[in-house]
Amino acid sequence: MHSEVNLNGIFVAAHELKAPLALMRQLALTLDPADPLSTAENREKLVTVSDRAIRQVSDLAKIARLEDGLFEMEPVAVRGVCDEIAGELKYLFRSEEKSLNLKYSNNQKLVIANRDLLHSIIYNFCTNAIKYSDSNSASSLAVRDRKGKVRVTIRDFGPALPSDIYKKLAENSLDAPVNFSFRPDSSGLGLYIATKFARFMRADVGAIRHRDGTTFFIDLPVSNQGVLF
Amino acid sequence: MTEKSSSTPVKSAIRARVKNATIQTIFVIDDDELFASCIKSAVKKHNQNLVVKTFKNALDAMNALETPLPSLIFLDVLLPGADGFTFLNELSSYPDTAKIPVVLVTSLELPEADLSIYGIKGILDKATMKPEEVIAYAKRYTN
Repeated sequence: MHSEVNLNGIFVAAHELKAPLALMRQLALTLDPADPLSTAENREKLVTVSDRAIRQVSDLAKIARLEDGLFEMEPVAVRGVCDEIAGELKYLFRSEEKSLNLKYSNNQKLVIANRDLLHSIIYNFCTNAIKYSDSNSASSLAVRDRKGKVRVTIRDFGPALPSDIYKKLAENSLDAPVNFSFRPDSSGLGLYIATKFARFMRADVGAIRHRDGTTFFIDLPVSNQGVLF
Repeated sequence: MTEKSSSTPVKSAIRARVKNATIQTIFVIDDDELFASCIKSAVKKHNQNLVVKTFKNALDAMNALETPLPSLIFLDVLLPGADGFTFLNELSSYPDTAKIPVVLVTSLELPEADLSIYGIKGILDKATMKPEEVIAYAKRYTN
């Protein structure tokens, strides 16, 4: 049974990685030396798609190394991570005719996390928002205090999260990516990666389904060092 | 004088109908806008005069189906909301839209024989397809 779950996970991960590879191949075939303008545009698209694929592969590799002690927990300024991601994805949001609003209201500035893993989780949720939100919609990235923790939420406006993935997430049983369904290419792989990273950091990941989209959140433990700032 | 003014709207209506009859449209339905733009670019390379309309979901494409109907549809299978097969069922339920040739563009492994009931004219595998294959379909189903 265990190996079946792993095989399914490998199948879904392979399928998700096939999509950007197929797209990169298609973009490369579309390159036309006689048309420098479209070539420059396609080159930019190639870089963006390959960046995303590399990030996904690297996140999968990180899962395999979580127990190797490579990812130390430390006080992390959560707003700084969000600002960094918003800056990195500014162009991508704009090119898709979408936007990202930042809303910070947290008094607790520091959380206990691994900066790298936290960055991956929030980045994943944000790229998800780009992919699934409707054109001209504004997603929001918010940070606020919640019951002794700091909650980071990403709200998008588009098709809601598939109920099978939502249920697994709510039951804390997302132990492998599941088969794709309502959100195409939505195997829950990104969410599975986020769940793995969050568990390692003793944080909680969850989602709220709306009629017009989804809110993903991560609750992070507050760092006591925050009082020094 | 009166005769001339009364014939103007009729003439322009005839002109519009003739124009519509000559413009050929191709639909590309794929939630991956970049992939759709690759197909569009291949079609345009074949014939600049073809109108290529891209849709991110089946519902928008269905709502856009009006006379003159598209000459060809490139259809992805995994789509947000209604999937490609739901779109095909809808398409085949009307006598006029049932005649529109459809080419599936997917990375799923689908048996071509089982899809003949939907009137599928071909399947392009996203992982191996070439712009030339897109052009070949465009050539076959447009003037």
